[in-house]
Amino acid sequence: MFLHGYNRILSTQNVMRRCSGAVLFLVGFLTAAEVCGAYGLQAPFGYTLNGQPVSVLAYPDTKAVVLFFAATDCPICNRYIPEIQSLENKYAAQHVVFWYVYPNVGETAAGVRQHEHDFGVEQHVLLDPHHQLVDFVHARITPEVAVLVPAQSAAEPFRVFYHGRIDNRYIQIGLQRPSPTRFDLDQAIEDVLQHRPVQPADGPPVGCGIIGQQ
Amino acid sequence: MKWPRAGKLLAVLTAPVALSSVLLQSPHARVHAAADRVTFNRQIAPILYSHCSSCHHPGGAGPFSLLTYADARRWGAVIENVTQSRFMPPWLPEPGYGNFADDRHLPDEDLRLIKEWVTAGMPEGDPADAPKPPVYSTDWALGPPDLVLKVPLPMQVPPSGTDLFRNFILPVPITQTKYVRAIEIKPGAPRVVHHANIIIDRTASLRRQHPNDWQKGIPGMEVMFDSGDTFDPDSSFLFWKPDTPALIEPEGMPWRLDPGNDLVLNMHLKPTGKPETVQATVGLYFTDKPPVAHPMLLELEDDAALNIPAGDPHFVVEDHLKLPVSVDVLGVYPHAHYLGKRLEGYAILPSGEKKWLILIPNWDIDRQSVYRYKSPIFLPKSSVIYMRYTYDNSTANIRNPNSPPIRVRAGNRSVDEMGHLWLQVLPRPIPNSDEDPRLLLEQAWMEDRLSKDPDDETALYNLASVKMSESDFASATDLYRRILTGDTEDTRTLTALGTALDKEGDWQKAESEYQKALISDPQYADAQFDLAQLYFKHNNDADAEQEFRRLVVENPKDAAAHNGLGAVLLATNRPTEAQSEFQAAVSLDPDSFDALYNLASIEASDNNFPQAIDLLQRALKQKNDADAHQLLGSIYIQSGRLGDALQQFKAVQELRPQDPLPHRQLAQLYDQVGQLNDAIRELDAALALEPGNADDWNNLGVLQARAGNTAAARKDFEHALTLDPQHAAARANLARL
Repeated sequence: MFLHGYNRILSTQNVMRRCSGAVLFLVGFLTAAEVCGAYGLQAPFGYTLNGQPVSVLAYPDTKAVVLFFAATDCPICNRYIPEIQSLENKYAAQHVVFWYVYPNVGETAAGVRQHEHDFGVEQHVLLDPHHQLVDFVHARITPEVAVLVPAQSAAEPFRVFYHGRIDNRYIQIGLQRPSPTRFDLDQAIEDVLQHRPVQPADGPPVGCGIIGQQ
Repeated sequence: MKWPRAGKLLAVLTAPVALSSVLLQSPHARVHAAADRVTFNRQIAPILYSHCSSCHHPGGAGPFSLLTYADARRWGAVIENVTQSRFMPPWLPEPGYGNFADDRHLPDEDLRLIKEWVTAGMPEGDPADAPKPPVYSTDWALGPPDLVLKVPLPMQVPPSGTDLFRNFILPVPITQTKYVRAIEIKPGAPRVVHHANIIIDRTASLRRQHPNDWQKGIPGMEVMFDSGDTFDPDSSFLFWKPDTPALIEPEGMPWRLDPGNDLVLNMHLKPTGKPETVQATVGLYFTDKPPVAHPMLLELEDDAALNIPAGDPHFVVEDHLKLPVSVDVLGVYPHAHYLGKRLEGYAILPSGEKKWLILIPNWDIDRQSVYRYKSPIFLPKSSVIYMRYTYDNSTANIRNPNSPPIRVRAGNRSVDEMGHLWLQVLPRPIPNSDEDPRLLLEQAWMEDRLSKDPDDETALYNLASVKMSESDFASATDLYRRILTGDTEDTRTLTALGTALDKEGDWQKAESEYQKALISDPQYADAQFDLAQLYFKHNNDADAEQEFRRLVVENPKDAAAHNGLGAVLLATNRPTEAQSEFQAAVSLDPDSFDALYNLASIEASDNNFPQAIDLLQRALKQKNDADAHQLLGSIYIQSGRLGDALQQFKAVQELRPQDPLPHRQLAQLYDQVGQLNDAIRELDAALALEPGNADDWNNLGVLQARAGNTAAARKDFEHALTLDPQHAAARANLARL
């Protein structure tokens, strides 16, 4: 059974616990979230490609924030970029902001810029070398996504409504559907916008483990 | 809810026990353990370098490099995952069911080492242990190719979507037949190209089917080709996958490439997430040596039986083929689409023994390959080859392209299915026979296809071609007629039927079939040519000339048409016009035996002996032909080169061992050069073949007389007179003795 819910954010406490220094699992189960518990999230949320701290993830009219955990060198992640771009376009008018989050230790601004050059320039890109966002949503894999809703409070700036896979195309590395039959991220955004309960995915994200300090 | 708690408690209790057991170990044991520790440098790098880095290197087909410790550490968890699941290295055959070359199956011990290494935190180890990483070059693996072909137009692969299958057509700009000993494919964007097959399109049929847009490539997983009118089976698997640096054919088995052939590059392309441009190049390496062994590709299938109900998790398709000759199996290429589950290929020998050719327990089209045997598998005559494929059309099959599942039949789209087992076999010669064993294999194969589908037009046509090769024109005629009951408009079959009828001797009916073909398609060059030839053969020079002239106007680059027109012009005493047609034919096709020979005969009659000699020598390089030797010998005599002439007539004699004429000519030549005994021997040989020839007896008498054998000479003259009492020369010679 997959347990799902949102994490309360202890924003004023400087709590930076980690599940582990290096998250090496390829397949992260959502139940793992229960083990890690809730963490605080505070600005900065990461760094722009120019090295500037990112202090704002959402604008005043933002209805939802989608974090797309990505790695420049992960092939499955790269194959999902067009899907993310298409969702970004689909929901742009509904005030959904997409952030490309590059969490891997060793990922450089120059490398991400080159990657953007190859795959398409994005408006919201950040590096998360200290795994602020990774830990906040318990991300383990690239590609993995989270849907956050601004909670309008300094103590609790965001609530996590969904985290996990983008869709059910990949079952494991080397086993994939020709095309997905469940579009989990799309459905989660839709549910958040419609104020419906968000359904958890019925399978784990598949891709490359997020690399922390080793 | 109690059990989880109990589990946790147990874990807490056992942890200190494990810890204390480590602490209690002796120092010696710990040193020993350290020495056995799995490190990148000692155990992992050799595994990666031998099994992974041929794709996983910078610029390689793998999505990331695995040449350094940093690389391996970055991807350690992925490596463990994909090796444990046996997704990587890509290798589908079950070990023990066929002994394949280039086996990429990772031994269990290597899997254990990788797991242990990752669990231990991926230690690097002592740099002194590190093997030298392999070096990969972007150059051609076999050096500069003899010919490089490039796909005419680049293809844009979209960033996302389903996989693409595209057939790129590569015209081959050669003017002479070449033998290809190796090819190398540079896909252009290695990470996009999943695999590729090269097919030789002998008649450029795909390009002709798509005259306006062939440069862009033709979509489709499989394509049908027109392999031409002669029996010319495919011989080699030209299959490329990412770690294939070059495809080198076995010694003595190069494949033939003729002028006018196209190569078709059938590529499986995978979107990568960003727009990609693919424009492959193919390097060809030639050899001067024609093949000395002729392998053949055989196919088992039952596409007609592929009719898989929606939801069926276990649908079986089978086929079998009894071998009419003994063969050595060199390689195997199993093929199915996304519903294929378990693929079996095996043979039952006449002894009853079962010999596995291949077993793939978990089929995955994405990792398909051609598999070549380490040593050929011998299958004696009358062995039966079996194919047994199982398909899963249920929702449990993750790869099912149809959601929800629907009924699936054979077809070349990815949502359709296929079930083919291709084998590359080298037939052994048939004892006490000169017959090409491939003909018998083709016949058995096509008869097998007809047993499954009596209206299989390809099988009917190919079987007719076999019958034509065996000079069984009546059977060929019947088979062509069977095709035409289904499709009376098919110009090609009508033309082939015309040829079969002509060979049978019914040239009026042949003419009518050719004319039917030309009503169906007035531009159909083969029918025009055959009709023109038919007229010419039956002395209808006017119609022959008209047809050939039309052909030449419509196909100005058709060397055979120019040669045919030249032949008609020569026969109707217009040698100057004929000469220019033959010259056109030779310049269009410098290897055309007929054009070279015909032009030589005109040059010879104009006493242009050096030109004639040169042309005939070129002609004889194409074909060891008695007429050409004969003509060349005669020209040598007229040029006073008696020794060279002698060689030519000897060649004629070898090609026509039952013909007394070359012996006669040799006798004459020997006589001229003063080798009287040789001359007598040749005339004896001529007379052994044709004892009733009075002239020969008379000539033999002259030679014997000149050699001083008066008694023998007398007998010979008398023999000539017995055969022909009116033989004046023999009578005069006898009187003179």
